[in-house]
Amino acid sequence: MSKRRITPLRALLMAAGLTAGLVIAATWGLAWQRRPEPPAHTDLALDDPALIRQGEYIARTADCIACHTAPGGKPYAGGLAMQTPAGAIYSTNITPDPDTGIGAYDYEAFRNAVKHGIRRDGAALYPAMPYPSYAIMPEADLRALYAYFMKAVAPQRQANAKSTIPWPLNMRWPLIWWQALFAPTRTFQPAPELDANLNRGKYLVEGPGHCGACHTPRGIGFQETALNLQDGDTFLSGALIDGWRAKSLRGEAQGLHSWSQAEIIEFLASGRTNRVAAFGAMADVVSHSTRHMTAEDLGSMAAYLKQLPPAPGKLAAFAPKRDTLTESLLDGTERVRGALLYREHCMSCHRPDGQGVPRIFPALDGNSAIFAHNPQSTIQVTLEGGRMPLDPRADKMAFAMPGFSHLSDQDISEVLSFVRSGWTNQAPAVTPEQVREIRAFLATKAPHIQTGEHQ
Amino acid sequence: MSHHRSLRLCLTGLALALGLSAGALAQSTGAVAPQTYAVKDKNGQLLPAYTIPEDSEMLKHPDAEQILYGQRLLNETQRLLPDRVGAAMNCNSCHVVQGKKPLGAPFINTYNSFPQYNPRSERVMTLEERINGCMIRSMNGKKLPQDSREMQAMVAYMKWLAQDVPHGAQVQIQSSRPIDMSIKPDPVRGRTIYGAQCASCHGANGEGRKDARGNIVFPPLWGDESFNIGAGLARTYKAASFIYDNMPMGVHTKGAWGEGRTLSLQDAVDVAEFFTHMPRPDFPMKDKDWPSGKKPKDARY
Repeated sequence: MSKRRITPLRALLMAAGLTAGLVIAATWGLAWQRRPEPPAHTDLALDDPALIRQGEYIARTADCIACHTAPGGKPYAGGLAMQTPAGAIYSTNITPDPDTGIGAYDYEAFRNAVKHGIRRDGAALYPAMPYPSYAIMPEADLRALYAYFMKAVAPQRQANAKSTIPWPLNMRWPLIWWQALFAPTRTFQPAPELDANLNRGKYLVEGPGHCGACHTPRGIGFQETALNLQDGDTFLSGALIDGWRAKSLRGEAQGLHSWSQAEIIEFLASGRTNRVAAFGAMADVVSHSTRHMTAEDLGSMAAYLKQLPPAPGKLAAFAPKRDTLTESLLDGTERVRGALLYREHCMSCHRPDGQGVPRIFPALDGNSAIFAHNPQSTIQVTLEGGRMPLDPRADKMAFAMPGFSHLSDQDISEVLSFVRSGWTNQAPAVTPEQVREIRAFLATKAPHIQTGEHQ
Repeated sequence: MSHHRSLRLCLTGLALALGLSAGALAQSTGAVAPQTYAVKDKNGQLLPAYTIPEDSEMLKHPDAEQILYGQRLLNETQRLLPDRVGAAMNCNSCHVVQGKKPLGAPFINTYNSFPQYNPRSERVMTLEERINGCMIRSMNGKKLPQDSREMQAMVAYMKWLAQDVPHGAQVQIQSSRPIDMSIKPDPVRGRTIYGAQCASCHGANGEGRKDARGNIVFPPLWGDESFNIGAGLARTYKAASFIYDNMPMGVHTKGAWGEGRTLSLQDAVDVAEFFTHMPRPDFPMKDKDWPSGKKPKDARY
């Protein structure tokens, strides 16, 4: 090592340095010339009450409030923690406060942020913001949305919280490349074979509803692997997010096969059916977004979802299975450990027949949240409990399930395996290791930012 | 060479750090300590602590079948004893979570505490007599023969639940909360609270709810299928105590069944006054209660 000569290692380092320099230079170039859309006209009648009302409805369809409000926090002031494998990021203040919110955004800056993930200062927004979906929203809707945020949302002074993602993973400039690759400028493409009603559903699902943000699997770049069905057959085929399994919305056994179109509408409108109740992140979606949508729009979404084909390689329907469990629970002859745990901790609400009580306690038999192939959601709700949404037009009370984190990993795996294969259910067993993983994930979750305690 | 060594050191450090944090994680996620309670004998001396047993422990007992049958009878009294039970009620409608819940009328001290002086009848009662008291009042039904298989199975379950706590000793667990009887009930307010907090499950007319097979899910709170006026739950402050600590169920993500603390004490007293005084079956033997006339304030007769 005494002589200065070009060793293979040194050559490698030099090549790496050169590449890094090129990447940074190219990123600057890319950032400099990012002009996703022609300049916007600024003759906006922001005070038009009809425009503001329209914008308010569009904000509901896009569910801005669910992510941009922390539990117990001021509407749209941000601070909701979103867990990523590298750490938590916090949603931002999108109230019109000029210093800490988006009050200084003109329409073009607003449109760039919503549709293309470009912050007013040019930095790239994390794709936790579903701008790849919002990209297909039409100009008229964006204008109404802008009017609503600027004129009808109360400004809140609350500075944005820093993410807990460590350097170098927290650098934003590589996201500009991500955007170039995965967030193309595009418009909505109606499917010619679908009628106007179904295409309206298609637009709401793909665009403002951003269903794919949770329900479409992500690729190695954290990008949704398909932004619509024409784009790829993984669209809405189910994904893992935040320790939840967002179910497949396709027409397969573990997707929406067991749901009627009327049940999908009832679920989106009220968060419950006689069989199921929304929990976890979907409870928020129903509370803040879908239950405020018009019957026509919910009908279009349900009709569109219900006609989606099974995803490739997925089981189209379960083989018929006869329930013999109810009788053995009623006559006291069922003695496996999972059954004893079920009798002791679950049965008074979910009942011997696993049917629960309509709109009060969800059924466990034939409930697609229970018989999902991946048990993560069931494990998480069993450990932490869950709360269903309330729509006062449909129900007087919201019910909740208590958490059972005091039970061991072994016990939870046994009772969940019992439930997932009980009655007519046909889902694989749960292992104690799977319970342990979710327990560890929950223990390390970063908290939400509450008003007044931001960084 | 130095490059390699520092790389190796670095990797070792990383592995160590990962290992340590994984170890810390494993510690923080282990099974939770079981619920234990102090036990005191008649003289207040501490005895070995009591742990609420889990149901699967029943199967290890030599009398497993009898104990399990007893628990099933307490959980599904009306379905399993249709000739003895007149109301659409089960023992566990009030003795919730298999008689294991603090402040939910647990059976944990029951077996140790009998024979016991009963203020209502002003005499000492055996456990079997006390269970039959429930059968003719809360269940609005008929007594079970004391030596019947059913009665002996219920007693066996309570004995198992007492574990090895000796007779006369008390597990330091509260059965119910005494309610200040100077709280003045407002039944009109109670009716409104009932509509908002109770009617979703117990029905707009207090009729309760049954499942597809006709088995009780939520017991009726008044009417022909409810408990009679001789039941403890027909008394305002006893009902208020139960409601305060156990109702409504399924509304929180904590607690044995997501219950309680939704209503204030005043709310609980008001709603209890409202529903206990709605029409319900008479208790034919009411004249024999409180023979010397020292009735509690909320007695119904």
